[in-house]
Amino acid sequence: MRFQWRGGAAAMSLSTMVATSSAAPASGKPPAILLLRPVDPPFAVALRERFRVLDFLSSGEPLPAFLAAAAAVPDPPRAAVVMGGGAVRVDGVLFDAVPSLRCVVSTAAGIDHIDLPECARRGVVVANSGKVYSADVADHAVGMLIDVMRRVSAADRYVRRGLWPLQGDYPLGSKLSGKRVGIIGLGNIGSLIAKRLEAFGCVISYNSRKPKDSVPYSYFADVRALAADSDVLVVSCALNKETRRIVDGEVLDALGPGGVLINIGRGANVDEAELVRALREGRIAGAGLDVFDGEPKKPAALVAMDDKVVMTPHVAVWTTESRSDLRDHTVANLEAFFSGEPLLTPVTMLP
Amino acid sequence: MDSLGVLLVAPMNAYLEQELDRRCRLFRLWEAPPEPDRRAEFLRANASSIRAVVPYAAHGVDAAMLDALPRLEIVASYSVGIDRVDLAACRARGVRVTNTPDVLTDDVADLAVGLAIAVLRKIPQADRYVRAGLWKSKGDFTLTTRFSGKRVGILGLGRIGLAVAKRAEAFGCPISYHSRSEKPFPKYTFYTNVVDLAANCDVLIVACSLNKETHHIVNRKVIDALGPKGVLINIGRGAHVDEPELVSALLEKRLGGAGLDVFENEPFAPEQLFDLDNVVLVPHVGSDTEETCRAMADLVLQNLEAHALNQPLLTPFSGKRVGIIGLGRIGLAVAKRVEAFDCPINYYQRTKQEYPNYTYYPSVIELATNSDVLVVACPLNEHTRHIVNREVMEALGPKGALINIGRGPHVDEAEIVAALVDGRLGGAGLDVFEDEPNVPEALLSLDNVVLVPHVGSGTHETRKAMADLVLGNLEAHVSGKPLLTQVV
Repeated sequence: MRFQWRGGAAAMSLSTMVATSSAAPASGKPPAILLLRPVDPPFAVALRERFRVLDFLSSGEPLPAFLAAAAAVPDPPRAAVVMGGGAVRVDGVLFDAVPSLRCVVSTAAGIDHIDLPECARRGVVVANSGKVYSADVADHAVGMLIDVMRRVSAADRYVRRGLWPLQGDYPLGSKLSGKRVGIIGLGNIGSLIAKRLEAFGCVISYNSRKPKDSVPYSYFADVRALAADSDVLVVSCALNKETRRIVDGEVLDALGPGGVLINIGRGANVDEAELVRALREGRIAGAGLDVFDGEPKKPAALVAMDDKVVMTPHVAVWTTESRSDLRDHTVANLEAFFSGEPLLTPVTMLP
Repeated sequence: MDSLGVLLVAPMNAYLEQELDRRCRLFRLWEAPPEPDRRAEFLRANASSIRAVVPYAAHGVDAAMLDALPRLEIVASYSVGIDRVDLAACRARGVRVTNTPDVLTDDVADLAVGLAIAVLRKIPQADRYVRAGLWKSKGDFTLTTRFSGKRVGILGLGRIGLAVAKRAEAFGCPISYHSRSEKPFPKYTFYTNVVDLAANCDVLIVACSLNKETHHIVNRKVIDALGPKGVLINIGRGAHVDEPELVSALLEKRLGGAGLDVFENEPFAPEQLFDLDNVVLVPHVGSDTEETCRAMADLVLQNLEAHALNQPLLTPFSGKRVGIIGLGRIGLAVAKRVEAFDCPINYYQRTKQEYPNYTYYPSVIELATNSDVLVVACPLNEHTRHIVNREVMEALGPKGALINIGRGPHVDEAEIVAALVDGRLGGAGLDVFEDEPNVPEALLSLDNVVLVPHVGSGTHETRKAMADLVLGNLEAHVSGKPLLTQVV
């Protein structure tokens, strides 16, 4: 049987052939993908090795023009890589502009930037980052909690300012072991936070849309009740209509004067103005926050509270390991789609 | 205990001070001016009243202070580490020592893990970044490295070390450790020396007690083995680490990072570290929570009260109490060895002799009641047959251990088998049996028993020396000279 080069490009390298052989459509070229987010060089290389990358940010064009051009290429893109909370919303407007899209791979865990019902209507499959970030976010949440309870950052500042010899012993912190921790959102991240804090002797309860089977923690259908029964409240849920300002003034009051809030969800999960007031008035004891309204602008009112608040610039996922795990995971989802296999981490319509 | 005169060395805890003032006769060392001669004068003036001292990590009790306080009976330290208490001097003067173990284990372990995450994920640096408004002006913070799954090495697998291990395990961290002896935790990898431990972990956590052997246990070799990606966490004592070596390793980037709660010269931390972003420095706050400080204070007060009421101390600092039946040559040699482990020595023998550091008991049962480990080291005769009987075993109890290196008939064997099987006796190490070479079968399946086949003297060197002695005695007899080791 004569072996026939398809696509006519006789100079095509063997490695390209091998890399795309499982994905080659009728034209023989690697499949096209829309890249709608910035990526670091290793990520860019990994994508280009496997796909024809139509890169929005490199194009320098406004989004509508870029999308129109992408839709017009031979063998238009069937998959898109998007980020969370970016400039590009995944909705009917995007699908109208590029009707060839059948798959969206988001590099975020959250899906607040994706119109899931619209995707379902059009038969577009969606993948998110699955558990790629979960350990790092959980670690960060625990690290922030220990920091707030034991004043690690504040004490570190105290030493570096040379105050230890001058002012003596640092004020006491609060014991973490044995405290009651209420977790809002017991998904991948919430579960890992629970597992870690259990090893510190903490007692875990949670709130989520529905109780989870075979989970040894107490369930609270109402967040206020969860807060009333907790010394620490951890926000680790997705941001959507129901969870916007899920931590409001009443929840903070229920948490109470010894209570600590940790937010590794989204700034909008918490009523920030109420939080500032509650901290200032001593209605809660402290907070560890990785996310904010109006980030990256400096949250001045929170900064003013020197030893009650620990703040980090949305870095819960920010490790080199997460970066490389995310890259591998995104590529794996794309390859699964193009091979006609199920996505590794599909996101379906919320029931 | 209102007649108990207590010297508090510093205002370490307001609640403790308040209670001591209320319930005892309190003397505040810091009310005397700090010059040594003024301090000495203060002690002299109050020496006739002071029967107890409460020191803490930063200020201990040395031989000079003990000399100045002849009526001192007890040192009740507000700390778990008592490296600054001169234990030998206390023992020599019959001064009892208590510390505060267990109540602070969780807090110190929490902080150890908190420091590890803080260093690897640069939390204090990130917090400073936000406060300085750099997030807006400079953009994203730097990438850091994941904590979960990092190999954690623990120096010292005592209470605190184990609590650290338990926490780190929940982050999927493989655990390895070094301690004086291997512990029964098959999931944790044991290293016989610190350099190997450091070479095989990513985060090294110091959690052992400070003594002569562990001074500067983290030295240049260990730091080099930990390496440019390794992180050192010290929640032990400053003196565990060669601080100048640590500082230069960090400045020269030979070590990846450090989280330090303790320093060689507190309250002074090395200023060269203040500008580094791969270190986290906290001012000896390991047990500094409201809850734990209160619990520590209560333990100090409870120990003092127990002492005043002649009741057993709650948390005496010591190794296991070793009771020796028969303080002959072998018994004394045993005592000398276990003393080096800080074990208090008790003994029984027919006639009391003067051993100032050893406590005499007039009966074996009283000896057993006051010991954790009972060692049979007396000769076998009609008085000492079954000297360890049922009553003695029950006095030793479910946490006690019997060691027999005497003769099988010293111990009522049927009784000891029953006691071990029933759990009325905690454990036994037996070199001798009533019917050698037969060993009671019921003992073979117990895991709290060590059985050896009459090997007490079974070394090449000793057997040769014994043989030489036999030959020497025979020769002396044949040549009409005095026997070397005449018994009869």
